[in-house]
Amino acid sequence: MNAVEVRGLTKRYGNVHALQGIDLSVPEGMIFGLLGANGAGKSTLIKALVGALKPNSGEWQVLGLNPLRDQAKLRALIGYMPQGVALYEDLSARENLRFFGSAHGVPELEQRIQAALEFTELTSRAEHAVYGFSGGMKKRVSLACALLHQPRMLFLDEPTAAVDPHLKVRSWQLFRELANAGTTLFISTHLMDEALLCDRLAIQQAGKILIVDTPQAILEHGQTQLTIEQAGQTNTQQIASTPSALAECLRGYGLNPAVQAIALQPDSLETIVLRMLQKSEVAK
Amino acid sequence: MSRILIVAKRVLTQLRHDKRLLGLSVMAPLLIIYLLKIFFDTMPKGFNNARYVMPITAFMVHFLAFLLCAIVLVQERTAGTLERMFINGFRRIEIIGGYVLGYILLATFQAMIALAEALWLFDLSYAWGDLALLFGVIWLLAITSVMLGMFISTFARHEGQVFPFIPLIILPSVFLSGLLINPEQLPTWANWLGHAFPLFYANDAIQEIIGKTPSSSVIWTNIVILLGYGLFLLTLASRTLKDVE
Repeated sequence: MNAVEVRGLTKRYGNVHALQGIDLSVPEGMIFGLLGANGAGKSTLIKALVGALKPNSGEWQVLGLNPLRDQAKLRALIGYMPQGVALYEDLSARENLRFFGSAHGVPELEQRIQAALEFTELTSRAEHAVYGFSGGMKKRVSLACALLHQPRMLFLDEPTAAVDPHLKVRSWQLFRELANAGTTLFISTHLMDEALLCDRLAIQQAGKILIVDTPQAILEHGQTQLTIEQAGQTNTQQIASTPSALAECLRGYGLNPAVQAIALQPDSLETIVLRMLQKSEVAK
Repeated sequence: MSRILIVAKRVLTQLRHDKRLLGLSVMAPLLIIYLLKIFFDTMPKGFNNARYVMPITAFMVHFLAFLLCAIVLVQERTAGTLERMFINGFRRIEIIGGYVLGYILLATFQAMIALAEALWLFDLSYAWGDLALLFGVIWLLAITSVMLGMFISTFARHEGQVFPFIPLIILPSVFLSGLLINPEQLPTWANWLGHAFPLFYANDAIQEIIGKTPSSSVIWTNIVILLGYGLFLLTLASRTLKDVE
């Protein structure tokens, strides 16, 4: 069973079409990335999936449940970290965790809170009011709140934006551990380096999904600049970023001892995504 | 029920942490009652202080409970914590119940100390039964105000949008609810409009309690209407508090 099944999902705010016929399938137990610029509709899609928003049309299921009709059942199974920190700033980190953890009737809550505080490296600030925290620290508390009840599926809306590189690496290690243990993670991001860490990736623009594939397959949509120095001459050419294209190109050279160096410069994911977005704009 | 208690506990913890807000919401009525005393001291001898003191005390508790609850709930919406509560499984009735329960304690405390100060400063004395009724009416008005604040909060997208409701809802009640003059002296339409405000029923009950020939049927009728008003607002608030955009 797929964790998420979406067909023809639309959402309008007046004249603004935030979601325009989204089709999406997310298998269970993977890290699914939703990549897009600000205003692409990523948060709207996540809100529709967690049942915080009523789409105008379409069919959508999360863990086999309708997010609106089966709201109570679904909400016990999912964790959600919104883009804004959504914390009680006059409460301490521990009090915030205790409040959201209590909502789910988490067993051994205090031990889990302690473990979450340790993971997010907030133990020394656990009793401090959240309003004094930096943006990154607030994100850490918010992430901990979403993890406490060990949900079957996690929706994380830009979870590591404004988080320092050290914790970002630790967060992605945890995301991978959770996925390995069977949790499905649906993560929105606008950071290309993070997108590469996902198992599957959807690129969203202006309320539409442009492509869904593995990051590697999306990278293969780009081009590679191949530079070969041979007998004192430099030859540069553009080839497709696929292993077979490289093999074919090099076949012509054989293993000629005169080939002195080969340099490869593949398009970055950022370049590929930008090109896709530009193509989509032109197609309009 | 347990989730109602969880929300109530969180509301009270927030109030406990926000000492400035807690201090102001308790001290402000006390200060205003004191200023009222200074003002009434300038009135000619024989001026009937009691006719105004108790309703004004009730009004201040009403105003602060309304404002505090409306702003805090709007903050919940703007900060995203209301949405997060819903997604974490809290239901509308649990959130509203938790808020009412949390603010009941504050409203009880506000009503008690405001009443005690007014009695002491203005040297007013009533039978214990009448005092209990006065406290009960002010307390019930405070709870109704919490629900009114909750209902109004659903129409405001940010804290600033709560303030236009003060001249729309709170100030007219000062003039039309019998706080300053007998509402029967008002034009008929204004008298009827006055009936739309919870302060009208609280004032009517208070005037009856402190009057020379109190009618228990008038007092209890007003208390029942006030209770019904609160339940009506609770129903409205639970319908307008959206868990889905």
